[in-house]
Amino acid sequence: MILNELQLSALTEISNVGLGHAATALSTMMGKDIQIDVPNLDSVPISAVDRYFESPESEIVGVYLPFDGDVNGNLACLFDWSSAVNLWETLLGSAPETAADVDELYASVMLEVGNILTGNFLNAIADMTNLRMLATPPTVGVECAYTVVSTIICQAEYTDAIALAVETCLYSESHSITGYCMFIPDRPGLSLLLDRLGVADVA
Amino acid sequence: MSSASTSTRLMVNMAEIHVLTGAGQLVGLGLGSCIGLAAYDGSKKIAGLAHIVLPEAFVDRAVTEPGKFADTALPELIRKMELAGASRASLKFAYCGGANVFKFGPGKTNDVLEVGRRNADAVKAVLSKFSCRVVAHDVGGNSGRTMTFDVATGLIQVKVLSVGQEDLCTLS
Repeated sequence: MILNELQLSALTEISNVGLGHAATALSTMMGKDIQIDVPNLDSVPISAVDRYFESPESEIVGVYLPFDGDVNGNLACLFDWSSAVNLWETLLGSAPETAADVDELYASVMLEVGNILTGNFLNAIADMTNLRMLATPPTVGVECAYTVVSTIICQAEYTDAIALAVETCLYSESHSITGYCMFIPDRPGLSLLLDRLGVADVA
Repeated sequence: MSSASTSTRLMVNMAEIHVLTGAGQLVGLGLGSCIGLAAYDGSKKIAGLAHIVLPEAFVDRAVTEPGKFADTALPELIRKMELAGASRASLKFAYCGGANVFKFGPGKTNDVLEVGRRNADAVKAVLSKFSCRVVAHDVGGNSGRTMTFDVATGLIQVKVLSVGQEDLCTLS
């Protein structure tokens, strides 16, 4: 399944709205004005797994959760290490020194951030398309970028879903947080979404 | 088949299979739920590594990347080893990976994350089906692994973020 330009632009648009809602919720949580920008959205082939972070060996934090309803799939929020440290310092007042120091407490902050981003993202898309999508409990992993992204793509391929990477930049006065959201609907769900957005395949 | 220089460090990316002869290193970077499957002919110093992504090929689709699936990767790895001059009877194997790296949170037991375990099971099954000699394996758990396979010595090392690098085995 290859998405055409019109479909990609429709998906970018709903992602923008979805992440806009997510940013507002995150602003409230962090007590800071957070702006969000979605410069780019693309489908992720296996060969592009190492494209998304500066170095495939750099450590990142990934929040990953399945959603179900009218559309089934998975969502992921990925933060590079310095962005994760910014989130921890803002929300908790301290941050782990290394990836190996991430414990349940630090992970729970990321679970909460992931919950807020993905819950608002899904709700906004559900409202726009009138399709029901409900988040299920999230998980967090801290590993090198290649490991996290390849594992998510493995799951996508295994369930025959399409991984869409949404480049996401969040800004506040003091912190810059960059990352990726990956929106991974299964094929029937993606077809349904595109249909509701008025950009279904003619074939 | 050209001999590699000692400095050759070849990354084996998802769904790829590479074979080196003489010297150099094959690297399976950041294996999460994926499996790195190594084969070695010690007498000829021929080493191969497959970066397996999924347990089995989709029945209704043509296989364009045999390295992607456990059931197609092993025969393709053996074929490439033989093409490089290896003798099938002397091949020894080792594999690692198949982790679930999303280890925190209430969703961690979700079975959608089980593809790592399924990959490990599938690799074990296909090696047994082809009666392959498996020297060592390191699968499961919650940590990503980087696998480094030294062509000259057959030494396989596994690096885990929280532990550092350790020897898995020497395929000689």
